[in-house]
Amino acid sequence: MAVRIAATGLRAWLVQRASAIYMLLFIVFLLAHFTVDPPHSYPAWHAWMTSYGVRVITTVFFAALLAHAWVGLRDVIMDYVHATALRVGVLALLGFSLAATGVWMMRILWMARG
Amino acid sequence: MHFSIFRYNPERDEKPYMQDFHVDVAPTDRMLLEVILRIRDTQDDSLTIRKSCREGVCGSDGININGRNGLACVTRVRELREPVVLRPLPSFPVIRDLVVDMTRFWKQYDSIKPYLVNDELPPEKERLQSPAERDKLDGSYECIMCGCCTSQCPSSWWNPKTFVGPAGLIQAYRFISDSRDRATRERLEDLNSDPYRLFRCRTIMNCTEVCPVGLSPSRAIERIRLRMLDVQGHDGGLALHRVPTIR
Repeated sequence: MAVRIAATGLRAWLVQRASAIYMLLFIVFLLAHFTVDPPHSYPAWHAWMTSYGVRVITTVFFAALLAHAWVGLRDVIMDYVHATALRVGVLALLGFSLAATGVWMMRILWMARG
Repeated sequence: MHFSIFRYNPERDEKPYMQDFHVDVAPTDRMLLEVILRIRDTQDDSLTIRKSCREGVCGSDGININGRNGLACVTRVRELREPVVLRPLPSFPVIRDLVVDMTRFWKQYDSIKPYLVNDELPPEKERLQSPAERDKLDGSYECIMCGCCTSQCPSSWWNPKTFVGPAGLIQAYRFISDSRDRATRERLEDLNSDPYRLFRCRTIMNCTEVCPVGLSPSRAIERIRLRMLDVQGHDGGLALHRVPTIR
């Protein structure tokens, strides 16, 4: 009898946990890769970093990071900023900053020459 | 022993202040409440505290003792660090001295519908439960509603009107896990209907830490989230823990 996940409390909570798990796995993968098979030169690192698979999982990592940051900071703002107009303003500013960071990351990741 | 007690009489005092008292504590003195009552009887009869059963059952004398919430009647006085600083429950409006206004607390409790909802025709004798079904209430039905947990919860401090608080939520879990209740889904949806009602909880576990009965509201809140997600296999009774000594 699961409740509708669309309602925002549970959804935000789930997003935060799921993104945390993904980020943890990604970091473990990164550490393992650089321990087991470290690239020995800049071109080697660059080639690895710009390979399609690594770009995709890195994109998901940054999506998870931004979602995680959104839920965490949204929680802080909901806790402390009680005036509705101010809260909406601060949340909008936060959303815009995170979205802009996301676009910037995508540019770096996908528009770098392979 | 040296006591420093929060005093405030709104009819007389402009501002609250701390008042020092010195009392001889004999080896026969066991609980803090006895000593507070002796200060009232022998030094200042205007000192006000709420109390009733004096044995940790009614939950009337929840106060802040050396920074931690607890019941004065079950706190061993001779183990306390001096000066013993006594304050009313944090974040609750003070009525006078150590007595607080719990209206908001009861409103939150009322909002979770703390009663069985079951429209089915009552059986001739009673609504039976199997021993296993009854066990599921363990660890939540024992709550004495003293307010120690909610008053020590930062999420309740910041959003007392919108966050149900640990006491209300452990009571909500008590009815969610009751086999005789028929409103489980409505209860879960109600707690998820507004991101403030349950999801202000950040699981810092102050509530569990201070509960004088040894209950774990944070565990109950975790169980409610799992029920919302329909995760099976986490519905046994909740374990009680040893209550840490207040020093």
